[in-house]
Amino acid sequence: MSDDTQSRSMQKFLRHRPAIVSLAIIVIYVMIAATLLLSSVVTIEQTLRPVGPFNLPGFGGQKLPEKRLSDIERDLNAINTALRRSDTQEQLRGVRSGSLVLGVTDPQQLRTELDDIQSTIDRLYQYEDLDLMVEDGTDNAPEMLEQLGVAESRTHALFQLPPGQTGLGRQLELLLGTDQQGRSILLRGIWSVRVAILVGFVTGIVSVILGTTLGLLSGYFGGWVDNVITWIYSTFASIPNIVLLIVLSFAFSGGEFDDIVNGWTGGLVGRLVGGPLEETLVPVFIAFCATYWIGPCRVIRGEALKLRELEYVQAAQVLGYGRIRILLRHMLPNVAHLMLINFSLLFIGAIKSEVILSFLGLGVKKGPSWGIMINQSGQEVINGFYWQIGTATVFMFGLVLAFNILSDALQDILDPRHVG
Amino acid sequence: MSQSSTHKPAPDDRTSSDVALSVRQLSTSFRTGQGVVTAVDNVSFDVMQGEALGIVGESGCGKSVTARSIMRLLPEHVTSYGSDSRVEYQGDNLLDYSERQMRDIRGDRIAMIFQEPMTALNPVFTIGSQLDEALVYHTTLKKAQRRARVLELLDLVEIPSPDRRYREYPHQLSGGMRQRVVIAMALACEPDILIADEPTTALDVTIQSQILRLMNDLRKKSGTAILLITHDLGVVAQMCDRVIVMYAGQIVETAPVDDVFHDGSHPYARALLDSIPQSGGRKHGQRLTTIPGIVPGLHNMPKACRFADRCEKKEDRCEQELPLLEIIDNQRQVRCHFPQHAAVTGAS
Repeated sequence: MSDDTQSRSMQKFLRHRPAIVSLAIIVIYVMIAATLLLSSVVTIEQTLRPVGPFNLPGFGGQKLPEKRLSDIERDLNAINTALRRSDTQEQLRGVRSGSLVLGVTDPQQLRTELDDIQSTIDRLYQYEDLDLMVEDGTDNAPEMLEQLGVAESRTHALFQLPPGQTGLGRQLELLLGTDQQGRSILLRGIWSVRVAILVGFVTGIVSVILGTTLGLLSGYFGGWVDNVITWIYSTFASIPNIVLLIVLSFAFSGGEFDDIVNGWTGGLVGRLVGGPLEETLVPVFIAFCATYWIGPCRVIRGEALKLRELEYVQAAQVLGYGRIRILLRHMLPNVAHLMLINFSLLFIGAIKSEVILSFLGLGVKKGPSWGIMINQSGQEVINGFYWQIGTATVFMFGLVLAFNILSDALQDILDPRHVG
Repeated sequence: MSQSSTHKPAPDDRTSSDVALSVRQLSTSFRTGQGVVTAVDNVSFDVMQGEALGIVGESGCGKSVTARSIMRLLPEHVTSYGSDSRVEYQGDNLLDYSERQMRDIRGDRIAMIFQEPMTALNPVFTIGSQLDEALVYHTTLKKAQRRARVLELLDLVEIPSPDRRYREYPHQLSGGMRQRVVIAMALACEPDILIADEPTTALDVTIQSQILRLMNDLRKKSGTAILLITHDLGVVAQMCDRVIVMYAGQIVETAPVDDVFHDGSHPYARALLDSIPQSGGRKHGQRLTTIPGIVPGLHNMPKACRFADRCEKKEDRCEQELPLLEIIDNQRQVRCHFPQHAAVTGAS
């Protein structure tokens, strides 16, 4: 009969299409995160180096004509500046357009080419508003766009790719465009999945385990145990985790804290995280776990207070069972649903907090995060470039929405009062 | 306050070897925000082997606290027992036992069942695994033996198709079925004494009668003594050999069950009986008989007779002096200055 109940829940779940889709999405996110954690398909270095021109739109899209024109001019100006210097060769080697380096280094050839391109774009500058012309579809718009294309490709021809950035890998890197430093938006977005899932799982699991343990002890034993635990969580609850995080980032900065920790553990921590703690997620974990366990602890303490008086717990006592056995065998399974619910709340809460704190420059210190991407896209949005902020929000939105839909669906399916 | 039974042993033919459990001058106090209150005051009684002893009284009279004191289930940091209180089991005082020693007694030698069968079983485990756990804890039986014993127990408490029920969860059973499982669990280790704290209050009347009959059958089969705590005089009449009537933390009358029902000595016992509605004994529209007044609060217990305020037969002496629990005839004790008994013999 219990098999029937379980299979009925399963059938209900399988019929709930949004829940299935959400579950699939969450699985994809978790798999991405797991892949990045366990292998080096994408490394943090890849998310930090430029891979193409600045602010390249995604899916091979074109910028507006005015913007393209100013990009060409910016590249030309860079070369011209180098040409005017006395150490021309030296300066030319340093000219970059995003990840691209100057391919032609003969100053004479460069000057001729530059003059040619300059005359083309000067003609284009005669028009008042190129964007408007293209939009209205005036008669000379196609001809004008052609000239723009020629000038653009001739400029690009001066540059070349650094070694090792070719083929499918490069196309993928440029799939969602580049940010204002020429870094791949796709890679940064994907790396942020790893950060988010890691923060969600570590915070969720540690907080729930800590909260459940203390909550059960507090509720079951009562007396001074309860007083001590209640006092501790009331104290921690009064610390906003933003303040805690600021304090921790100060504590971890400068590496003195690392030295102390490594002194205690014989260098183990340093080897384990592979770098200064300041640059890892450890401060974020500590700040979140220190404050997030309070929620589950309160809820489970309350439940334990109730369960303790229930007759099956008293019955376990009159059957002569020990306290630890009663706690583990008779109380713990009966708060398991609260642990699950709290985990799902904390998981998504931690991810959102991480994004907000990183946006404020407090969370992730090295490498990208959705919060950092949103923070950096401020100027881009003013210039009409939406690819970075769009990627970050869509990635985050997908995960949070999928999780919320799944939680709701599970509640509908598992709640016995919700028959249907 | 002296307890008459300790000075003058009851003149009957019971010997100490027949006594399964002996409670002596049990006083249980709780430390509360408003000071120390004594919920059970100087209670003494014996539970004979194989007998069914009832404790009756209204809510708050101390009958459940008495049971929990025997099992040492009360929260230790607020509970204290009188210095000369003793709960004797096989020559030992259970009140001196450590928690560890009590665990070996509970479930194995003295078992207890509670009022509410709906919550008495853990909802996340099957019936079988819960019965099995008790055997794992208290016996050294092998897995197959334990399974056989569990099925035997389920059969003993008259649960149909034990094989199927073994794998079911508590929510799949009715209240009566669950109470049967609870009884099976309590009897798993063949205890000497079963304390039943209002075992049938939450069941409907037909199931109640079935459960009582079952408990009585099991008592006769296994020789387990039953200490039945209830406020239902009907249950006492059906089940018990002897009955203890408690009022405001004290025993007011102890007697064989037939004596109390035919001829209660203490005014409270009589008033309780008169409160039972009789069919046909009353004209239409006539009010039911009640006991006027309320039980005195634990914080301001009168020094004299605790029932005096509500007693019809009250006299001056009742408000000045606490009556002792006097033996008035064979097996019968009453705490009243003016016991209403035809053959008063041992008045002091």
